[in-house]
Amino acid sequence: MANLAYIVVIAAGAYTYAVLTIGPDTGNGGFQHYILGYQLPFFAAVIAAAAVGAGVGVLIGVTGLKRIRQDYQAMVMLVISIMAATVIGAAPSFLGGEPGISLVPNPFSNLSAVTGAWAYVAMVAFACLIGYLVLRKFTGGPMGRALRAMRDDEHAAAAMGFSVVRMRLLTQAVGGAFGGVSGALLVAFIGGWSPGAWAYVETLALLTAVIVGGMGNDFGVTLGTFVIAVLLLQGVQFLPQIRSHTGLTEALGWMVLGLLTIGFLWFRPQGVFRERRPKYRLRPDPTGDPSSGALAGRRG
Amino acid sequence: MHLLVQSIGFGVAAGAVLSLGAVGFTLQFGISNVLNIAYGALMSIGAFLGLFMLGLGLNIWVAMVLGGLAVGACSVLLNRGLITPLVRKGMQPFGLVIVSVSAGIVLEYVIVAVAGPATQSYGNLSGATLNFLGWTLTTAQVVIFGIAVLLMVGLHLLLTRTQLGRAMRATSSNRTLARSCGIATSRISDIAWFMSGTFCGMAGIALAITIESFDFTLGSIFLIPMIAAAVLGGVGQPYGAMIGGLVVGVVSSVSSAYWDPAYQSVVAFGIIIVMLLVRPRGLFGSSSATRKLLA
Repeated sequence: MANLAYIVVIAAGAYTYAVLTIGPDTGNGGFQHYILGYQLPFFAAVIAAAAVGAGVGVLIGVTGLKRIRQDYQAMVMLVISIMAATVIGAAPSFLGGEPGISLVPNPFSNLSAVTGAWAYVAMVAFACLIGYLVLRKFTGGPMGRALRAMRDDEHAAAAMGFSVVRMRLLTQAVGGAFGGVSGALLVAFIGGWSPGAWAYVETLALLTAVIVGGMGNDFGVTLGTFVIAVLLLQGVQFLPQIRSHTGLTEALGWMVLGLLTIGFLWFRPQGVFRERRPKYRLRPDPTGDPSSGALAGRRG
Repeated sequence: MHLLVQSIGFGVAAGAVLSLGAVGFTLQFGISNVLNIAYGALMSIGAFLGLFMLGLGLNIWVAMVLGGLAVGACSVLLNRGLITPLVRKGMQPFGLVIVSVSAGIVLEYVIVAVAGPATQSYGNLSGATLNFLGWTLTTAQVVIFGIAVLLMVGLHLLLTRTQLGRAMRATSSNRTLARSCGIATSRISDIAWFMSGTFCGMAGIALAITIESFDFTLGSIFLIPMIAAAVLGGVGQPYGAMIGGLVVGVVSSVSSAYWDPAYQSVVAFGIIIVMLLVRPRGLFGSSSATRKLLA
């Protein structure tokens, strides 16, 4: 079950980071308005973003607990993501309204532009590595098996004694924390954030990355993200702009994205890299009695 | 008091457009059991087709009918070319939502590629203002309300008095049983998609007439109050959607008269969430289509 409101979590992280590091809104001539306005250090703000992301993730998850059909639930998620952007945009003094918040400080602003950018890349790469390791821990161990069981057959998992509600909310919280951090890292780099940056089409970009890469395969999703984000959405900027048609290249980018999603769901729903499932075999029993063998897990 | 009366009048006028859209949305869902998120994009296509025909010098009401029929054809193409093959391949409802979201985005950006991302307007077509029961409405609003009422009555007669309508209701309530009774359910499905698209295109043009300006996101923004109207009346129930449209229209119009209009769509959002958590089958009892929603 993909969360079509995931972009809201990313946005929550980005806004949290922005208002916690930017300083009071009377600065810069007071041209923008927002709440809080602290000047916390970088890491404190990122951790706060993770916490807020987790909280928003759980809130969204609660609406998903009601037992209704999948597609109905997906529709609700979409509505949540559109509405969140509308509400934030309509409230100018809460989080900057439609124009958003700009001049969010970059943690490497004391370095030169090029060095700063590369330092940022290094930091994000490091964050990705940590994220990957945490995720491995989460999906690899007993928790991961429980989660996979829940996804494949909820009733069976519940019958095995797992609390499906608790696990779902936990998943939402962990996913939310990841989203929050990613939003924080994004906004610290680009320096501004507004409802236009997280329109619901952005969710499609995330979804395409997951579908192309292969749902349930961490490596595939990472690769998918690179292909989608780097090649498609940024790459179209390097195509020559057709003078009479402003916005045509961006439109083409989104069209390719949509067609890619449909194409993959049609021809190769498992994605480029299929999910690698752990294989289980009977460990040979030292006493030679095959019936008393213990199940041994092996990732393969 | 005058403010209340006037805002109810505007709400009824807006609700007529909303009902048109919501009935189309819910009709198709009730029969083919697929949530079509691309509905919003189809609505935008309708609005832009209207703009194109207006540019050719056609009368706006003629354009509304032609645009509706054209969008109906698009809707059938969407069903035949994309949705039905995927359903036959055994795609799950959730996958179909993703497909229809993607299709909607592709269609929206086709509009951008053809007509550009700029904001468009039909110009002033509202006509003379009329005073009626303390309401001040434009002629265009009254005509749209009349068209909506006509279409609703027509739909009611179709569903209750004709063989086709009976077949549609049978397909909606139990597809397998309907097929074993000799109803060509895939043809009924096509007809439902066509009617849904026609309502959608007409609602798109009606909406573009009543608001000052629009761009390619017109339909996807309007999708939320339409979904709210459909959910309020019970998804898959045309009569529920008619009432739901009026209720959502009046409630959001009254709320925006007394509250910041920027929060108007919050009302629709609140209706969706509350209905979903409290009474997912909608206000009007449970039809088989809405019962199917409850896992």
